[in-house]
Amino acid sequence: MEAPPVSVMPVTGGTINMMEYLLQGSVLDQALESLLHRLRGLCDNMEPEIFADHELVYLLKGQQGNPFLLRARRSLSHPAAPWHLRYLGQPEVGDKSRHALVRNCVDVAASHSLPDFLNEMGFRMDHEFVAKGHIFRRGALKVVVSKLSRVLVPGNTENTEPLSLSSLVELSVLAPAGQDTVSEDMRSFAEQLKPLVHLEKIDPKRHM
Amino acid sequence: MQQREEKQLESSVESLISHVAHLKNALHSFIYKLENEYERLTWPSVLDNFALLSGQLNTINKLLRNEKTPSFRQQVIIPLLLSPDRDEDLAKLTEQRVPVFSHEIVPDHLRTKPDPEVEEQEKQLSAEAARIGPEVAQKQIQTLNKLCSNLLEKLNNPREDRDLEIAALRLTKQSFNSADTNALVAAVGFGKGLSKCRPPGTVAPGHPGQGPIMSGGPTLQQVTIGLGSGAPQQQGQPGKMPSNIKTNIKAASSMHPYNR
Repeated sequence: MEAPPVSVMPVTGGTINMMEYLLQGSVLDQALESLLHRLRGLCDNMEPEIFADHELVYLLKGQQGNPFLLRARRSLSHPAAPWHLRYLGQPEVGDKSRHALVRNCVDVAASHSLPDFLNEMGFRMDHEFVAKGHIFRRGALKVVVSKLSRVLVPGNTENTEPLSLSSLVELSVLAPAGQDTVSEDMRSFAEQLKPLVHLEKIDPKRHM
Repeated sequence: MQQREEKQLESSVESLISHVAHLKNALHSFIYKLENEYERLTWPSVLDNFALLSGQLNTINKLLRNEKTPSFRQQVIIPLLLSPDRDEDLAKLTEQRVPVFSHEIVPDHLRTKPDPEVEEQEKQLSAEAARIGPEVAQKQIQTLNKLCSNLLEKLNNPREDRDLEIAALRLTKQSFNSADTNALVAAVGFGKGLSKCRPPGTVAPGHPGQGPIMSGGPTLQQVTIGLGSGAPQQQGQPGKMPSNIKTNIKAASSMHPYNR
């Protein structure tokens, strides 16, 4: 592969070759334990990781055209850990032969001054939420089961309120562009979680 | 004629010995593993060992059943010399298992009938079998057959049972709610339902969620227009048009975020 390393890839005008393949679903709180139990059985033999994250979504408005979106995440349980900055591209959902939603994805670790830096660059925070839950792995597949909460007072992650009576379930794989075989693996894994959870490729535009 | 039979006997005994030696080696190494490497031994490798043993036993069985193998049952072995003294050669030949060829052990080793205890048990069983009448026996056979066929049916149709169970489960308890799914996806996707930090007046241009629609709309339109003008030239191969549309949309939407 002659693709340059991620760190030197230009974010604008270039092609970023890592794609995120994604399937989404949700599980009601009363069925959460059975889902976690099943995932423990299906996934790699390790203790599932528990996480509590605070995600801030930043927006850069240009003179014209679409705003530019960046997601900054920090761990609430490990305050010393680096921040995580993520860019997600436009989702592609149209291709019927692909079983998962596909979008560009760039992940970068960042220092704790990330919010100030983004502010200086002209980004403004658009919204924030707190996600708490479990991460499972099976080979390259990643399953995140998380409970989303809205932040009632901006910036105060102690004071939150659950968004719904369900947890979000996301099955994702990072792969170079064009590796559509991974979506087959994802589909067969998703089959094994039925009927507890139906993981589907959901076009976010439909639910705006 | 007799010579040929003798030769056959000899060769089949030889091959039997070599097969039994293989089996013995496999057993030996398996036992060694069980005793010394049980900490590292994985279940698949245990199964492999079992498969090896059963394969070797099968080969021996096949060899014994082979037409060319003379019936060992008809061969007579007579002890020619018994001695109470230790025989080093014999001990070496049997790996120290039989050091003496004496009156005490010969009946055990050259036995052609089952052990006395086994014989006793067999006798008891046949007595019991003779005791119950044929009607009772028939009844018992029928019961056993019924049990077996029930069990087989259960084993063969686990799917139906499972599907029934799942259906019952679904009726009693819903484990997910698609409205919740959509709400959660919309929330992580563009913050729907989450408190907005910017002043409400600037919603229209700054709404992040409108990005997809705004970009999706024009590009789609451009594609259809472009296709309309291009269509007359492509009339010869209408089948190719859909694929063109698809690639155009893909290319346009994936390029869009970057070419500003």
